Amino acid sequence: MATILIENLTKVYPPTPTYPQQVQALGGVSMSVTGNVFVAVLGPSGSGKTTLLNIVAGVEEPTAGAVRVVQDGVPAQVGYVFQEPRLLPWRSVLDNMLYVQNRKSDRSKREAEFYLSMVGLSDVAHLYPAQLSAGMQQRVGIARAFLVNPDVLLMDEPFSHMDALTGRSLRDYLQRIWAHTRKTALFVTHDVGEAVELADRILMLRPGGVVFDDIPVNLPRPRRPDDAAVHAVETEVLRRFDSMEAAVRFGDQRN
Amino acid sequence: MAYDTSVTPDAVADLSAREIRRSVMGRWGLRAGVVIGWMAFIGVWYVFSGAVLGTQQLPPPHTVAAEVWQVVTGDGFGTTLWASLFRVIVGCTMALSASIVLGMVIAYSAWWRGLLGILTRFFVSIPTVALAILALILFGASGLGPMLTAALVATPYVMSSVAQGLTRVDRRLIVMSESFGRTRSQIITGVLLPSSVLAVIGGARQAFALAWRITLLTEVFASSDGVGFQIKRSFESYDVRGLLAWTALFIGLMFIFENFVFRQLERRAFGGAHVSLATAESTR
Ligand SMILES: Nc1ncnc2c1ncn2[C@@H]1O[C@H](COP(=O)(O)OP(=O)(O)OP(=O)(O)O)[C@@H](O)[C@H]1O
Ligand SMILES: [Mg+2]
Repeated sequence: MATILIENLTKVYPPTPTYPQQVQALGGVSMSVTGNVFVAVLGPSGSGKTTLLNIVAGVEEPTAGAVRVVQDGVPAQVGYVFQEPRLLPWRSVLDNMLYVQNRKSDRSKREAEFYLSMVGLSDVAHLYPAQLSAGMQQRVGIARAFLVNPDVLLMDEPFSHMDALTGRSLRDYLQRIWAHTRKTALFVTHDVGEAVELADRILMLRPGGVVFDDIPVNLPRPRRPDDAAVHAVETEVLRRFDSMEAAVRFGDQRN
Repeated sequence: MAYDTSVTPDAVADLSAREIRRSVMGRWGLRAGVVIGWMAFIGVWYVFSGAVLGTQQLPPPHTVAAEVWQVVTGDGFGTTLWASLFRVIVGCTMALSASIVLGMVIAYSAWWRGLLGILTRFFVSIPTVALAILALILFGASGLGPMLTAALVATPYVMSSVAQGLTRVDRRLIVMSESFGRTRSQIITGVLLPSSVLAVIGGARQAFALAWRITLLTEVFASSDGVGFQIKRSFESYDVRGLLAWTALFIGLMFIFENFVFRQLERRAFGGAHVSLATAESTR
């Protein structure tokens, strides 16, 4: 069973020539995620969501605090879906999939083909990324993350660059493929509806990188974005966000 | 006059026909320019050899052309040419391999960038002739001198153009590779080299252009065979015809290499995977 344990995580970016002021991206984030759950991290732009995922993925160092991403006591294998597809432009779709695999065999190729078929891309495996639409490229990104058989799945607003209709159908693909594997998932988004549709639990982040709320979503799956129950939770999440903002504004006035 | 804003298919066809004509004329204009330039050069040569310097001092072009034919069909041509070409290729390869390694180091480490920047400034300020003479003192008349001099002189230039290509690599692809647990060498061969293929080919071209000029120069000083040595020998025996013939021959050959071999390589890199890279960037 996979566990993500984050304690008092802080990230401060030092001043750069272009922005001569240090930036606090994360201001003491703590959370614990265990088992086959889908957790959404919801926060406005600049609240440190990408920074959080990068640290969990191990591609960025925290300033302070501790992160443990383990599977049965050993470091967990991570699958990362980025904000943009991040495919190698000089490799075909299939070769992009094979790039992240450790062993090259007939079996690994069949696995790559299986996950491509899960996102409906069997027919374009031989094409290059530039020959695909943005939505298809992002589907390759999703298939690639599942291909490494991850213990933990990290997703950074994977649909935010899509139009609403494409996003809707990609969320559908994701729900299906996630139901098939049920990997521990950390899904970052600024879209309330998306969070409620996909997640079992919503962690809310505010600017400055602080978790201010933790909301369970106990709705049956598969969920549709237009379900009344989904709407009800959405309204509740927005209400809590507004009261957080009011509190922060009130706090500002007192200082 | 009526101002017609509608665009008829004929007008479009007419416009594009005009544009095609202009671009064709542009291309032919360029070619005509090259031909006229060469004809002017040969004309001036005739004038100088006939009226200014005399045919003894400066043989006319057709005499040199005949001499070129003599050289090419005479014995020893193959071995002489190969001696020089071998040095150019080895020098060029050394410069390019050093440049790829140093270019990576420069692109990714500020400390090395500083150090190599200072070394480069120092190296570039040494006259090539001084290096050639140093090579003669160190290695005598062996072939090693020209090769090393060529590599040494070319490396700073090629290195910085490779480094420039590497710094344009998409950092996000490296982060992607790291998050999927790719090793350093997998990232180098999977991301860094492919995305800087054009910079590396450009660097190879530059290395070649520098290497043959320097090899030729160094051979004049520090070699007992090769084209540069033949040029020196012709010069010492007052054989202006031979001197010009060897020079013209070698320059012609190198010109062919630079303009055809490397253009083919570039075209292949563009025509293959890098077409999709180019379109990926333009549609983003
Ligand atoms: N490499 C960096 N150097 C300096 N500052 C950075 C760097 N990366 C992020 N930041 C800053 O840290 C803060 C949080 O950035 P982050 O990208 O994590 O936010 P985000 O929640 O993902 O935003 P978005 O929704 O726009 O993607 C921002 O103020 C950003 O400017
Ligand atoms: Mg982000």
